[in-house]
Amino acid sequence: MGLSVLDELPVAERDGLPEADHRLAPTSMDEAARLLDHASELGAQVLVWGGGTHQGMGYRVGPDIVLSCENLTSIVAYEPDDLTVVVEAGVGISVLEALLAEHDQTALLSEVPGIATVGGAIAAGVSGWRRSRFGPTRDRVLQATLVTGDGRVVTGGGRVVKNVTGYDLPRLATGSFGSLGLVAQVCLKLWPLPSTFRTVMVESPEAALDIAFRPMAILETGDGAWCYLGGTSQEVGEQSTALGEHFVDELEWPEPVSADVVVSIRVPPSELRSVLDGLGAGRPYVAQFGVGETTVGLDIGDIDLLPDLRTEVEDLGGALVVTEAPAELYEEFDPWGTPPQTLEIQQRLIARFDPRRVINPGRLPGRI
Amino acid sequence: MPFSTQFAPTSQEVGSCIECGLCLPACPTFRITGLETASPRGRLTAMSAVLAGQAIDETFTEMMDGCLQCMACETVCPAFVPFGRAMEGAKAEIAVARNSMSIRIRRLILGRFLAWRAVVRLATAAAAVLQRTRMSVLIPKALRSGFRSLRPLPIWSSSRVGRTSKPLGEGRSRGTVGLMVGCVMDPWFGQVNDVATRLLNMAGYVVVTSAEQSCCGALAAHDGSAQDARRLAHRNASAFGAVDMVAVTSAGCGAHMKQYEHWTEGGDIFAAKVRDITELVADAIDKGWLPTVDRIAGPIAIQDPCHLRHAQRVVDEPRMILQAAGHEPIEIDSTGTCCGAAGVYSVLQPELSGRLGVQKAEQVRAAGPRIVASANPGCEMQLRQHLGEGYQIAHPIEFYADAIGIMERGHS
Amino acid sequence: MSSALAGELRSILGDDGVLDRQLELHVYGKDSGITRGEPSVVAFPESTEDVVAVVKAAKRHGVSVVARGSGTGLAGGAVPLEPSLILALTRMNEIEVVDVENRSAWVGPGVINLDLSNHTYSDGLHFAPDPSSQSVCTIGGNIANNAGGLHCLSEGNTVNHVLALEVVTADGDVIELGGPAPDPIGLDLRAVMVGSEGTLGIVTRALIKLTPNPTAARTLLMSFRSVEDAAKTVSDVIAAGVIPAALEMMDRLMTVAVERFIDAGFPTDAEAVLLAEVSGHEAAVEAEAEIIRAIADDNNAIEARVASDAKERQRMWLGRKSAFGAIAQMNPDYYLHDTVVPRTKLVEMMRNIYEIAERHQITMLNVFHAGDGNLHPLMSFDASEEGVIERVKAAADELLAICVALGGSLSGEHGIGLEKRDSMGLVFNEYDLDAQARISEAFDPDGSMNPNKVLPSGSRCFDFGRPIPEGTWV
Repeated sequence: MGLSVLDELPVAERDGLPEADHRLAPTSMDEAARLLDHASELGAQVLVWGGGTHQGMGYRVGPDIVLSCENLTSIVAYEPDDLTVVVEAGVGISVLEALLAEHDQTALLSEVPGIATVGGAIAAGVSGWRRSRFGPTRDRVLQATLVTGDGRVVTGGGRVVKNVTGYDLPRLATGSFGSLGLVAQVCLKLWPLPSTFRTVMVESPEAALDIAFRPMAILETGDGAWCYLGGTSQEVGEQSTALGEHFVDELEWPEPVSADVVVSIRVPPSELRSVLDGLGAGRPYVAQFGVGETTVGLDIGDIDLLPDLRTEVEDLGGALVVTEAPAELYEEFDPWGTPPQTLEIQQRLIARFDPRRVINPGRLPGRI
Repeated sequence: MPFSTQFAPTSQEVGSCIECGLCLPACPTFRITGLETASPRGRLTAMSAVLAGQAIDETFTEMMDGCLQCMACETVCPAFVPFGRAMEGAKAEIAVARNSMSIRIRRLILGRFLAWRAVVRLATAAAAVLQRTRMSVLIPKALRSGFRSLRPLPIWSSSRVGRTSKPLGEGRSRGTVGLMVGCVMDPWFGQVNDVATRLLNMAGYVVVTSAEQSCCGALAAHDGSAQDARRLAHRNASAFGAVDMVAVTSAGCGAHMKQYEHWTEGGDIFAAKVRDITELVADAIDKGWLPTVDRIAGPIAIQDPCHLRHAQRVVDEPRMILQAAGHEPIEIDSTGTCCGAAGVYSVLQPELSGRLGVQKAEQVRAAGPRIVASANPGCEMQLRQHLGEGYQIAHPIEFYADAIGIMERGHS
Repeated sequence: MSSALAGELRSILGDDGVLDRQLELHVYGKDSGITRGEPSVVAFPESTEDVVAVVKAAKRHGVSVVARGSGTGLAGGAVPLEPSLILALTRMNEIEVVDVENRSAWVGPGVINLDLSNHTYSDGLHFAPDPSSQSVCTIGGNIANNAGGLHCLSEGNTVNHVLALEVVTADGDVIELGGPAPDPIGLDLRAVMVGSEGTLGIVTRALIKLTPNPTAARTLLMSFRSVEDAAKTVSDVIAAGVIPAALEMMDRLMTVAVERFIDAGFPTDAEAVLLAEVSGHEAAVEAEAEIIRAIADDNNAIEARVASDAKERQRMWLGRKSAFGAIAQMNPDYYLHDTVVPRTKLVEMMRNIYEIAERHQITMLNVFHAGDGNLHPLMSFDASEEGVIERVKAAADELLAICVALGGSLSGEHGIGLEKRDSMGLVFNEYDLDAQARISEAFDPDGSMNPNKVLPSGSRCFDFGRPIPEGTWV
């Protein structure tokens, strides 16, 4: 027997990778498949790493192998007239959005992405702030190619904007944290960028929701509230006048919340205000009106308030999810909360894609 | 036994259905039961099965008997399937294939007695006595609630047949209109015919009520008494052979008479002359032959008889007549769902008929006005039965006649 | 003959809730597609509990379960092929709660699409998916097929409008997928349930996302001398950053057929007609309509006009919506395709469609959702004519093959059902199909929910990958 795949693949060089026996960066889906097949044979635990920006979510994984997507960075196909783009997992969101902006288009991924990758955003199922108008990221994943835990390369969906051919694997993969496979390549649906933008300061986000017709976003932070408009200049102008007199002619997004502990609180949109009232003053937050999600930063000493808050939020049909925290917190406080009632089916699904459970094992709600 | 008569649904009629299902939500019986077997598409599928050799069995009979023949499906059908015709054919086949005692009795009543003026008058007189003595317990149970929703009946009144009335006022006659007085319209809803005659005279028409006319045959045709329906159609076509137009005051009769091409030789020529009374009155108002009232009167809820709206596609005319009378027509139902009366359906299928009646009454109550215009006697009775006390129901031309001051008696 | 299962069902649902006479079963043997089957029994549950009881009874009797709404599917998704129980959900048609503040509503699967939008109209909300059958089709059917419609160019298919589902599984368990809050935790099973054509479970309640009614709309009618000019207009409109609510194309054969049927005011000498609708804010629609009109002019439009009032607008859309009826008038039979190609391949696809039609001597009309590349080539024929069925089938197969070769897909909104099941291999390789089969297996290990649909038989390959550990097998 020759060299194992572990010795053949390029070693990962990205900064910030966690410690592991092997830190590898396959350059193709086939290489990733060989690596995962081998990991299955060994029963090794594999942590998939993109930009690392969403690694704070879910139960901790002690990896034997870190699979970095830093060499999966091809823009496979971009057809502006079709409003679709096909990219590999490791493509940075900022790189992609810069390319799309040249054609006045956007993938509507995170507005303040930092070093986040497309694959990471999809595996974690996170959306940008414009979801109020354009829907969550999962609405735009048209095709996904997964490398399963046992090394199969499988594709679902298609490179067309409208498709009901077969089960919706791309959506299922969105937010799957690799449990069905490494999300190696995706086709995304794009939107044209509006010709005019405006960020209008508003007194009451609730009132703005009623005034503005399907705005891109209405956000509130500790510093105030803003309504984000995009469209033709006439439309933006008229709505802006109705909303308030303080505005800038671009999109000024808030900085992401940064703190010892960051949690995402998700409730039905009408319950957002009561969640904010319950948080009390002084903590950094960004609340998305019309969506129902609030990101809040807490000091490590503040986490005592989380259990009660979670109970309240879960009673409303929502969730309180840790997105960033020091490692030790995950021992004390469950990062997901009460797992969904469908764990058994989820487990059966995962077993069919990752039978030896090698990719991010135990990371999902219910430690599956 | 598969289809055997000349009236049978043809493979062309049935085959024109493209099975798209657009008729389903328009069908009152599908809406209530959720059954494909109680939908136009399902009924056509069943006819198609019989065309392919399957026997006319109890299931087939039940499926066809469940149909109101309201024609709402024809209104929405993109393929123009002649559903009403096919259903009459299916009914005719059932009558032959399943010649039970109850069908024979029904055929006798619908095909013979209704056409026999003396029998209808005798029954009317008896019913009038019962009305006055409040002895409705003597009426068979199945007919009792219908009996209670009749207008006050005359014990005796001469039939309106065999008369000729001249245009009122000066000027040349605009033509001769034959008035179809109807078998039960004549004694039970005589006032509508009287009003129709006056309005037509005012509009400049000579009105003749040929003594040769008989029952239109609609109930017989809907129930499968095809031979009787043919006989009656033939008789009416020759009775009104000489007139320019035939006015009909009952939507159900008019709908059937506009289909005489299926029932008698030269029926298409006759059918082209048939008008619902609302068509003639609205046309006369439009042309200025009849007056428009300036005074603002109250709102009136408008109920569309299926045989006017769906079978004859007459929708705007009753509204225009009410508006000309100064009333504001209030819509109760944007799609014109059947009230459940549907000829003899209310007697044969009391459960479904009752549910539709309750639904229609709820629509009327929700609309607001306690005055309802309905251009069909069956619907009027069904509405009266389900609305109960406190509602005034009459034909649109009666409201109009009242508004222009030619009403001889107060309407019901 | 009444089976033991029918007897048991009667004890659950009452006599009124079960059909099993021969003619009744025959009536439930097909949907709006072209294939016919024959169920063993038809059951009409009125509650989730009824569905649970019926599914369990069917399982005990070894009979598979085929869910059905209004039966308007075009791909044979509700056609029973093996001894099957038809679960007719038409009586579960309650609009339970409309939550105006959260723009959502809990509804039964039997609620008719348009009934929901009519119900919520006064609250300023509607259910965005609007298939041509929206006056008939049920929300349950929309969910099963991930239905689209005229407006899904801007609003997306049904899956974008479903927040949560209550589902009865193949085992008769009641599970809830998704929820009223954004991003429910764990795998998004709701996403695969939508569009699964009844093969993963029975949806018994759905929390539907409602969309604000647009405050203003403009409709444009544009006519062109060539399909190329029309298609170029479509591309240019999108490239200009305008996503119309709807963007529909009709070719000449189609407009001629429509005009013969009703008077929609379509020019019958133009090779292609485009209908566009922009909706939203008053100020937006005015400007966007002008942009579209200008682009059409740049692309040599014979005519490009904005409907001047609501009446003209309705007339234009009536023309589009009557396409189906117009075709019904032409010939007794038709075969409707539902392929999707990338928007940039529209012209090439149309050229191929005409070539195929000519070669097989079939009347082929086109009316389609140009904005998202969703074609509906429609073959009109008389099946009694000798050899025509073979020609139609051959043409249909060629169409699919070309569509896939151009980077397209098998279905944009009608689903796979029976009709396209065996074509799945055109777009998916054996590993992809096996992965699809694994999804189905995880929900329904015995294959008792709407079997033989979506995937060709033999899709599951036990040689691929590694064996699944015991305990997670079922």
